[in-house]
Amino acid sequence: MLSVYYGDMSESIYNPARYFKNTYTDEWITDELSKKMIKDVDKSEVLGPRIIDSPVLGGISPRELSGGVKTLICIYKQPDKIFNASACGDNCARWLLEIGNMMDVTINLRHIMDFGDGDFTIKVLNTNQIIHNMRELIPVAGMIVR
Amino acid sequence: MKGIHHITISNSSLKYEFSLKRNITVIRGDSATGKTTLVEMINEYYESGRESGIDLKCDKQCRVLGGRDWQTLLPTMKDSIVFIDEDNDFLTTDEFARAVKESDNYFCLVTREGLPNLPYSVEEIYGIRTSNRYAGLRQVYHEFYHIYGEYRPHEVFEPEEIIVEDSNAGFEFYSGISEGKSYSVVSAEGKSNVFSKVNEALDKKVVIVADGAAFGPEMDRLMKLCTRNKNIIMFLPESFEWLILASGVFQDGEIKEILENPSDHIESSEYFSWERFFTKTLVAKSQDSYLKYKKEHLNPAYLNENIVKKIVAQIADIELI
Repeated sequence: MLSVYYGDMSESIYNPARYFKNTYTDEWITDELSKKMIKDVDKSEVLGPRIIDSPVLGGISPRELSGGVKTLICIYKQPDKIFNASACGDNCARWLLEIGNMMDVTINLRHIMDFGDGDFTIKVLNTNQIIHNMRELIPVAGMIVR
Repeated sequence: MKGIHHITISNSSLKYEFSLKRNITVIRGDSATGKTTLVEMINEYYESGRESGIDLKCDKQCRVLGGRDWQTLLPTMKDSIVFIDEDNDFLTTDEFARAVKESDNYFCLVTREGLPNLPYSVEEIYGIRTSNRYAGLRQVYHEFYHIYGEYRPHEVFEPEEIIVEDSNAGFEFYSGISEGKSYSVVSAEGKSNVFSKVNEALDKKVVIVADGAAFGPEMDRLMKLCTRNKNIIMFLPESFEWLILASGVFQDGEIKEILENPSDHIESSEYFSWERFFTKTLVAKSQDSYLKYKKEHLNPAYLNENIVKKIVAQIADIELI
């Protein structure tokens, strides 16, 4: 399940992009889910572990992926760590839910990410509540973060 | 610094074009829209100039601030446009807010966090999108857009409750005009309380009235409420004092000129947010008239029927009188 802690959290990694740069391995990039997330968020194609085809930037290395997709990959590949997922835009939200369906992960959010109009299941750790949609989430999260 | 500053920056594959109009601009939005790339290009141009292969056009120097030594670096940046990327956790600190207040720079901040210490405008929160504006351009063209879109009503809205950010003259004005009407007026007693007040009134038709000039930090969570609750709308003029000035209650050429081009009149090092400038202007312009304005308490002359009509005429599509 995806668990979310809203607001300041000293144990979370605030700058996931930097963490990614210094820890990722080739396998992180060639993993099937990573490739799907890179394709969806960055519109880029993984050609190999060290080369990605970006429609805007041309051939890029994994270090030049967006901050959002780097954060997604960190959350997926290091589920024992807590990352600042406010480095992700709303276009990453569906992938956070998917990762949460695959494994237990905790993320830190410092804003109200929009998880879309559908139903989902996340746990808000601040209030120990299970939340099922944005109509339930906004009044809860909005009392903690802006 | 004052004025509107236009920036174009490009390399062989990317081009960005945008204008900054006041001391604080916030960029947020989806991942992979080019926010970090923009900041990196600004920094590379500062470090190497044209040798970087980047072309930057702006009438002010553009700088990038970041890292642990930001407090040492910022005082060296004067009369500049300072860009800060989202990986800097000092953005949310009191120390940074104080430094912005004391600075003569404009700041362009990349962040999805609300930054409650900084009084930025609802009008200066942007996303970046690619555009086909210049068909045939070899680069991918990027422009800023207002990320929160429309929050005003699409048809005449008859409120049951008005939640006013203010507890002073603005609140007294809306309370005064509500007498005998079917809606109630409550004060949130500060912008940070507006969300909880609205949360308590989700079953009503609610209008949120706040000073748009400094309401940016509240915008994200309230827009998320508004987009999913069509019974909640927002009216966000620059400030209550701006509303009076814009109503034409005072026929004054200088006021007209100020309202047409506020950026040209408001020095960022003097006014942390524009609402304070409009308050000062209204106090000065009204001081020798029967409409002498004080922020602490509403002069009852502002509840005169003709004055009310002029002010409320600025509030389109909300049924108040």
